[in-house]
Amino acid sequence: MSQLSSSASAPTPQFPIHKRRLRFLGLTVEDCIKSFFGGNALISVVVLGLITFFLVKEGAGFLGQNRQNLAIYRLAGLEFVDHLRRQSEDHTALTRYLSDLRLRTLNQWTGPGGLTLEAANARLAEFDDYAARFGDAADPLRGMVSDLSEVATAIKTKFLVNEDKKEERRQLLAEGKVAEAGAVVITAVDFPAELRPLRDSLPAYREANREFSTRLGALLAAAPRLPEPELQRRMDRFAELGRTYVATFPGIERDLAVWDHARPVSAAEAFTAFIFGRQWLTASFWQDWYGVVPLLTGSFLVALVALSLAVPLGVGAAVYVNQIASQREQRFIKPGIEFISAFPSVVLGFFGIAVLGQALRAMSQLPWLSWVPGFPYSERLNILTAGCLLALIAVPTIFTLAEDALNNVPRALKEASLALGASRLQTTIRIIVPASLSGIISAVLLGLGRVVGETMVVLLCAGNRIAIPDFTQGLGFIVEPVHTMTGIIAQEMGEVVRGSIHYRALFMVGLVLFILSLTINYAAQHIVRRYRISIG
Amino acid sequence: MVTVPSRLDSTPPASGPAPARRPTVVEGVPPSVPAPAAGQPLVEIEHLDFFYGASQALREITLGIERQKVTAFIGPSGCGKSTLLRCLNRMNDLIEGTRIVRGSIRIHGVDINQPDVDVIELRKRVGMVFQKSNPFPKSIHENITYGLRLQGIRDKAKLDEIVERSLRGAALWDEVKDRLGESAMGLSGGQQQRLCIARAIAVEPEIILMDEPCSALDPVATAKVEELIQDLRSRFTIVIVTHNMQQAARCSDRTAFFYLGKLIEYADTRDIFTNPANPQTEAYVSGRFG
Repeated sequence: MSQLSSSASAPTPQFPIHKRRLRFLGLTVEDCIKSFFGGNALISVVVLGLITFFLVKEGAGFLGQNRQNLAIYRLAGLEFVDHLRRQSEDHTALTRYLSDLRLRTLNQWTGPGGLTLEAANARLAEFDDYAARFGDAADPLRGMVSDLSEVATAIKTKFLVNEDKKEERRQLLAEGKVAEAGAVVITAVDFPAELRPLRDSLPAYREANREFSTRLGALLAAAPRLPEPELQRRMDRFAELGRTYVATFPGIERDLAVWDHARPVSAAEAFTAFIFGRQWLTASFWQDWYGVVPLLTGSFLVALVALSLAVPLGVGAAVYVNQIASQREQRFIKPGIEFISAFPSVVLGFFGIAVLGQALRAMSQLPWLSWVPGFPYSERLNILTAGCLLALIAVPTIFTLAEDALNNVPRALKEASLALGASRLQTTIRIIVPASLSGIISAVLLGLGRVVGETMVVLLCAGNRIAIPDFTQGLGFIVEPVHTMTGIIAQEMGEVVRGSIHYRALFMVGLVLFILSLTINYAAQHIVRRYRISIG
Repeated sequence: MVTVPSRLDSTPPASGPAPARRPTVVEGVPPSVPAPAAGQPLVEIEHLDFFYGASQALREITLGIERQKVTAFIGPSGCGKSTLLRCLNRMNDLIEGTRIVRGSIRIHGVDINQPDVDVIELRKRVGMVFQKSNPFPKSIHENITYGLRLQGIRDKAKLDEIVERSLRGAALWDEVKDRLGESAMGLSGGQQQRLCIARAIAVEPEIILMDEPCSALDPVATAKVEELIQDLRSRFTIVIVTHNMQQAARCSDRTAFFYLGKLIEYADTRDIFTNPANPQTEAYVSGRFG
């Protein structure tokens, strides 16, 4: 034993293979390098975790606040009035249908070889009289809506003032100013009493409704006839719509009769009001709505237009470069396409406003292009403009990844196909593209992720109108302005009060966006992994 | 567009035959008669010089490949045997910078490197099996019918019939007949290689080129493929490149030994292995280098 230890402590052992480590604060150099890289990785993971946590935390507060928001809507009787308002608005829609019909008739009659404007207007006198009577029929209803709106608004204001006072008192108490806190007068709102005018209006409403439906029934039965079959068809359609409208009256009455201001708003209701809400209406005098559907639709439509342009361009270019182009063309095309992604998106947006929007609008007004759905249009900034620019942003992503996927197809497959007497084109279409299809699909998905997350271009070029486009006109919706999820966050986040419901609603939108991107990316990766296995 | 003529009209070129061209002809056969097995070679390679860019891969190759025989190309790595094989169906066209500087390759007397030759028609008649099995990532059935569909054959009954015939021809039918619809990627390496052979014979080529078809296979699978080559020799002209000298000795009728881009010796397989004329050949086949 002693022999062994003496040989180990010798300055130059026979077989010098022991590690000689430089120590620094008790750590070897390798430990330092390892912890440096490990630390970097850790930081990114921690940051990702924090972002997710923060998003969820801020967003989750929204549910409670929206629940309260909806509860006030119900408590103060705004919901009650909105039932009536909907009835009134449906009537207005019918009136609009009539005036649209009048315009069509006038256009047809004053067409080439037709009547003069005066003569046509004179011939429409009977129609105008009918339209006026139809419009006036709803006057009592409109009056009622406006009266009750005032009542409901007053209740809501009273409630909110009280809430503010409660908050004030709480703050004073927290500061220890008991006397001042005592001086703050809080009068709890007695909802049943306050809502009495609303409830009391019910018999009068029923009476008015009966008369309203009789008048409408009479009017619909005596609708004026138009000589042209096509116009008459529209007139018949109007009568049919009118009858459907009248048939909704008992339902509204029932809703009003069973309406209860104290019915609690569930958390699920607050959530569905967000996810399926068709209105995004903020800082309104009446009622704020935070429904993500218009924004989701906007994002989706813009992405759809962008992808339908970017997929053929990106994949087509990838196939060309990978299979057909000569070396010299490859050297020129590949950096060219990848260079597009070097443009800052705000520059692209600026280009979209100044050049592309103008050019597309000018093009839409060419007479020989009027067959294109939606053409001509006057809104320069719309889904189409934003989609075209986003396509430009997605093309480099799709191109690069699709080219990689094509490149990964084993050369042996290409040779096998050619050796069987296939042409280059047949080989590309039947072997190379199918073999790399999953890679191409994941390229498209990642392009979609890029497009959905893009902000600046859509903020500048999508038109920023918060509304669900009108799909009744077929493909024409692609020239309507929309707002998007990314756009609304960028636009409104700067001006909201921190912690307010609006602020939290924007976080919820961010959360939806995050989940969407995560799903898309996950799907893309999943497909790529499967593809690697299948190619072997 | 001139295509390679079928087996029947093999008129020789008008120019007089060069003396060095037919080393294998033992007796004069009238050229107009459709040549039997021992007659005029099916493939005539003459004075071929081939370059990859600036480096010469083949020098002065002159060689005749006889029909319905198995011809083996042997030689150490880099000797040019695979390059010569790939010249026969012009697969070298795919590699940039390759060119034939001098000489010609004629099949049925037609120079396959003339600009008016349709390389697609050529490859239908000269099939190929590669070193590494390369089935398409499709079903077994689709792998076989791929070449046929390219030729416009759509009739399902006919396709099914050819699939069965080709798979039987490649001694694979019994193993896969119940799973023709499954992916070919699920087969074992040996099965995949036999599938590639079945795929090649499905389009009924005259010549099958095999580029080291067994180098990635285990001995059992190798034995099966070699057995298959013996079966196929009655219907096809087979050219096989191999590293394995026992394989060349077992399978082939004629053997060509290449070294550094030159054809050193070309003779009946038995002669090459038992009584080589050239000392280099002897050194190689006896395992002294390579």
